[in-house]
Amino acid sequence: MAEFNSLTSKAQPAHSSWGSTLSGRRKREAVMGYLFIAPVLIGLIIFTAGPVLVSLGLSLFKWNVFTPPEFIGLDNFTRMFDDRETITSFFNTIKFVLMTVSGQIVIGLLLALSIHGLKKGILRDYFRVAFFIPLISGATISIVMGYLFHKELGAVNYYLNMIGIPSIPWLVKSNWSMITVVIVSVWQALGFNFLLYVGALQNIPRDILDAADVDGAEGFARLWNITLPLISPIILFSAVIGVMNNLQIFEIPYVMTRGGPGDATRTVVMVIQQAAFKNFEIGYGASLAVILFGMIMVVTLIQFRMSRSWVFYQ
Amino acid sequence: MVEKRLTRRSFMNRAGLAAAGAVLASCAPQATPQPAAVPAEATKAAIAAPTVITKGTKLRVALFASQVGEGFTAEAAGFKKKFPEMDVEFVPVSGVDWEEYIGKIITQIAAGNPVDCCLIATEGTQVFAGQNIGVPFDDYVKRDQEELKEFFADVHPALVESMMYEGNLYQLPTQFNAPNIYYRSDQLEEAGLSRPSETWTKDDFYEIVKKLTKKDSSGKTTQFGFGWTNRLWGSWTPWMFVNNSNLLSEELAPGGEWLWDTFYAGVDAAKGRKGGWRWLKPQANAEANVEALEFMVEMVKEGYTPAIELGKGESLEGFFTSGSLSMVPAGGFWVDGVNASGLTKEQFDVQFWPKWKSQRHQFGGAGYAILSGAQDKDAAWEWVKYDVSKPAMEAFYQTNTTTPTRRSMMNDARYGASGPKHWQVFYDTLDKYPDTAPIPAPKQANPMTNLLTKYTSLVMSLEKTPKQGLDEMQVDLEKLFAQG
Repeated sequence: MAEFNSLTSKAQPAHSSWGSTLSGRRKREAVMGYLFIAPVLIGLIIFTAGPVLVSLGLSLFKWNVFTPPEFIGLDNFTRMFDDRETITSFFNTIKFVLMTVSGQIVIGLLLALSIHGLKKGILRDYFRVAFFIPLISGATISIVMGYLFHKELGAVNYYLNMIGIPSIPWLVKSNWSMITVVIVSVWQALGFNFLLYVGALQNIPRDILDAADVDGAEGFARLWNITLPLISPIILFSAVIGVMNNLQIFEIPYVMTRGGPGDATRTVVMVIQQAAFKNFEIGYGASLAVILFGMIMVVTLIQFRMSRSWVFYQ
Repeated sequence: MVEKRLTRRSFMNRAGLAAAGAVLASCAPQATPQPAAVPAEATKAAIAAPTVITKGTKLRVALFASQVGEGFTAEAAGFKKKFPEMDVEFVPVSGVDWEEYIGKIITQIAAGNPVDCCLIATEGTQVFAGQNIGVPFDDYVKRDQEELKEFFADVHPALVESMMYEGNLYQLPTQFNAPNIYYRSDQLEEAGLSRPSETWTKDDFYEIVKKLTKKDSSGKTTQFGFGWTNRLWGSWTPWMFVNNSNLLSEELAPGGEWLWDTFYAGVDAAKGRKGGWRWLKPQANAEANVEALEFMVEMVKEGYTPAIELGKGESLEGFFTSGSLSMVPAGGFWVDGVNASGLTKEQFDVQFWPKWKSQRHQFGGAGYAILSGAQDKDAAWEWVKYDVSKPAMEAFYQTNTTTPTRRSMMNDARYGASGPKHWQVFYDTLDKYPDTAPIPAPKQANPMTNLLTKYTSLVMSLEKTPKQGLDEMQVDLEKLFAQG
């Protein structure tokens, strides 16, 4: 017993030493873990969280770069309610997001469904590349689009005229200019959604589709009841990303219309850029950025909350 | 010793607090980088002796990225050879237009990373001078007047005056462009027209535009007589000028005698010049402006002018060279682009802006400014002085992407091969029309231009009448100018 006790008493320190080693190892692992994520974390703090906090701070000041900043509390936030251009830009942005995101989802899905049905590999690959290329074309494509959509001298109206359709004032009239910007935005970002949906369609388990066949689900019924629910998480993902990106739309309307005619295509980010870097009203620009940030957060939360009723997770 | 485990939560808490603290501290007003305001008098004492460049002197110079080419490389090499001990960094800044370029330079100041010296166009002259972020050159110019006499003798005083603000000189102009009318000589010939006379009128212009416009059987225009870009320089604003008006009221600031008496004594073109332009009150809806804009609208309605776009005018250049457009407002900066598109000097030419109530032209110029936050203003001045020297300008202006301000550089050697045949028009715009003035560009130039293009687009899309558009523009401009 004494021997046993002595063994156990000897074992105790050994165990505690093992425990402390484990604790040290865990600590080292934790430190290593934090070190591994440090580059991303530091990047996030410097380039994302930092600017958000700086914007928040700046939004409380009146600062034109040339003179010292003056603390004005929430004046920048109240000012925007009297600023017709800013209010219009918020409505334009919401209108733009609704049209563009639904266009990107519906057309992307339709294209993915049609390509998914193609048997021949080369043809399928060709379309995949063709739809994806606009995504990597960047802002320069907007310049080309400006030429193409020119009312009198552009190629789009030239071909429309050839088939008997009169020239459309794409970039000239307020009602058409927003539609033109939406068309170009949908076309440019279509590839991203298209690739997501192609991947999602390929991942639908074969046995579920076979079971649907056995149950006689065909055509639209199969699409509605089987395919769409199974790829609904991807649709949610593309909707969330689409809303986030399109609420920040800038380059296409900036290059193609500069927000015009009048304010017809002026978006929130354009007003932010104009306020901060053209009119040198840094505080006002920052306050608009803060509002947009909050808007994106709220809309994203609403999307996730609403998704509970229509997204199906296997 | 108490061992404390570093948990994710505590790590995040500490990191978050540290970051938030650092960031909020950086938001504090006193931490914000400010350009030092340097009034004209304050620089006097510092500019007594000639500049001494010591080893390690650093200089950062910004210029429009599109102007960085072989010419600039040669010019910069010349400066480095002249001042081998100076560490010079050239910073190309891109921008859709001068407004965007100026915005980026000022953003660099706000970010605490200002350049010492930067190329600034008329659009920014008073933004920099009026906000005290530019250094007046007066004392440098007085000190180095012997060296600079040759430059001023070669440059039209209207260009120099446009770089003055409240009696002080803030830039030395090295390039300018006045909107003249470029026309397709081959299309004029085809229409049975000869070169318009120097004193052609607005009505002559309208008749020529009408004759140059071609329509197909359905009434659709296939060749437009005249097109322009929606912007401050060379848009419909030259029509305001020839209608004896302007977007803003005009007056001359007192002062500047020191310059005129020293460098332009006895020069007719310098008589009556003062200390720079003041544009203090908006007058967008003046009757003459409404009339000018109605003229533009009429040409759109008749199908003589295509849809008006914003921008630098690249699409106009494309349409002009492809033959879809017959006449366009442009300056010397167009020559290279027109040639590059394959047009020879037989196919295009240039003429003065047509006469309406007057034939007063407008222009925009550019030159280097020294920022008040410059580390070594003397070194920056050496760059400015070198930049206006004949060898430097000859090195830089190897191509015709802009017009040099030196009269001696406007010659047949420059334009003989490229065209236009009547290249003399570029400088004669200043010589023959001495009342020619800079585009209105007060310190509010950036937001003012935004309002000009915004309401112009609404009028040109026929969504508002010229009167409605200009009345609304006037209200917004008044609000803007009331802010000071």
